[in-house]
Amino acid sequence: MEAVAVKPKEPLPSRAWKRFKREKVLWLVAGAALIWLFIFAFIPMFGIVMAFYNFIPGRAWSDLEFVGLRFFIQFINLPDFGRIVRNTLVISGLNMTIGFAAPIIFALLLNELFNKPFKRIVQTISYMPHFVSWVVVASIMTTLLGGTGLINEVLLRWGWIENAIPFLNSRELFWPIMITANVWKGVGWSAIIYLGAIAGVDQELHQAGAVDGLGRFGRVWHITLPAILPTIILLFILGIGNILNTGFEYQLLLGTPLTREVHEVVDTFVFRYGVQLGRFSFAAAAGLLRSIIGFTLVITTNMISKKVTDISIM
Amino acid sequence: MPKSIPDGAEKKLKIRKKNGLAPYLRSGVAGKTFDVFNIVFMVVFMFLMIYPFWNQFIISINQGLDTQRGGLYFWPRVFTLENYRFVFSSSNLMRGAVISVARVVVGTATHVVASGLLAYVTTVKNFSGRRLVRVMFIASMYFAGGLIPFYMLIINLGLLNTFAMYWLPSLFGAFNMLLIASYIYGLPDSLTESARIDGAGEFRIFFQIIAPLCLPVLAVVSIMTAVGHWNSWFDVIVFNPSGQWDTLQVHLRRILLEREAASQLLLDQQQQEAMRNLTTASVRAATTMIVTLPILFVYPFFQKYFVGGITLGAVKG
Repeated sequence: MEAVAVKPKEPLPSRAWKRFKREKVLWLVAGAALIWLFIFAFIPMFGIVMAFYNFIPGRAWSDLEFVGLRFFIQFINLPDFGRIVRNTLVISGLNMTIGFAAPIIFALLLNELFNKPFKRIVQTISYMPHFVSWVVVASIMTTLLGGTGLINEVLLRWGWIENAIPFLNSRELFWPIMITANVWKGVGWSAIIYLGAIAGVDQELHQAGAVDGLGRFGRVWHITLPAILPTIILLFILGIGNILNTGFEYQLLLGTPLTREVHEVVDTFVFRYGVQLGRFSFAAAAGLLRSIIGFTLVITTNMISKKVTDISIM
Repeated sequence: MPKSIPDGAEKKLKIRKKNGLAPYLRSGVAGKTFDVFNIVFMVVFMFLMIYPFWNQFIISINQGLDTQRGGLYFWPRVFTLENYRFVFSSSNLMRGAVISVARVVVGTATHVVASGLLAYVTTVKNFSGRRLVRVMFIASMYFAGGLIPFYMLIINLGLLNTFAMYWLPSLFGAFNMLLIASYIYGLPDSLTESARIDGAGEFRIFFQIIAPLCLPVLAVVSIMTAVGHWNSWFDVIVFNPSGQWDTLQVHLRRILLEREAASQLLLDQQQQEAMRNLTTASVRAATTMIVTLPILFVYPFFQKYFVGGITLGAVKG
């Protein structure tokens, strides 16, 4: 050790070079990964400035016309703008309330099952829909909810309705059916994380609670729920960040021209204008606006949560 | 030893075993009523989860024209395999299936090897680049350019309408890198140190020592990646618009949107004659089942590894 300390220090560049040579295999992997990251993650990040230019593919950046906020203003002034914002907020609002509460309730109910094999079977089945694609879900829904589908057939047979209900072409039913499908697909999967948190609750707390006279519902309310509250808040904040990120697969698969009024959200708009109609800068501006609002929302929620509950994601 | 336990305690222990719960945790009448409702609810819940799949299944093995008459609830009425025969004889759908499988295999293998190797590199002590790699990849998790700039990039790189779209842009994954790295941190350092002293290269250390020990986490990452590749369809219609690399999901979507009626899938007139009992709905049901079954097949593996995997990543974090 002493010998190393008294050895005269080599100049920095040469030391760095020696170290690099020693680590050359590691740098080979890290370098390849960083180049890949630069191309596929950072170039699109900087590419977002195209929202401020009148972007034309194949033309050099220096030849492009700088238009500032023109496309943002165009997007806001669109006659459809109000409707798109409303749909985005309603759909994500439903996801953040019903879609958010359902897995918590399901996890609490599941936790109250005392027959272990039964509990396992229920849980295993519950997250099956998460693993199939939206295309499969859409196909199943078309079979069940179509004009001659099973649901209509049963309702007609039982005499509950006179004529078949066009579930999938109905504007009024679009949101309820969509949130039902979202819950059906995601409830079991989202419950896993809560079940993990519930499993971490100290059993002695339950024993102490019971001795102090808490019933079963009381223990859920006063012990289990407070114990998983940090998890709930954490996921809620993360969810707020995605609030404008409504998902678009459902809309693209099950939305029809008849339901456009209620299904068009920012994401489907970006896809339609950017990819299908080729209005790149305009679509990029709409997408960027959404990201900025989403980012602001998550920062705000996080700040509020930090003040009120002392729980923060950052 | 048993004699040292007082009689009362032994009795209590028996009661506890019988009811599965300590006496003071057992519930009263309200609790028992709740239990009944809870069990009924769970049974209904399971029915709602399973039946939609079962319904597709019986439609897929029932004669198409017969299905149209309605009243098909729990069992097939006119059993037939012609829906499946049709799908397997349609060259379009078969090509889609082959491309889907190729995408899953290539996409998953490259992603797991690349992300695993990168995860290992970030755990090597004293490696000067480890912090840089971690920080850059974590930053990429929080910011993204969005669909349109990415789409422009793909066009500029000449990756539009290529098979490379299915693995190159998803080669490394920040989240999976962190997941695997956290697992490697849990392994004893002495393993890699002694291998290094014995003169093993970094690649050899990863593939022969680290990777086999990381099997549980690598299995989780593989399964999730494979399922993601198998299920994805949006990127296919955006980045492979020519239809040359259409996967099975995209074909199913096309049948769903009825742009491709059953008769259009088969060009051969003679075959069309033989398939006159088919309907678009029955062919769609068969295709849906073919798309779903591989997922059910990986389910047991998922069960085995995932329970450990998610507690390792998500719950801790």
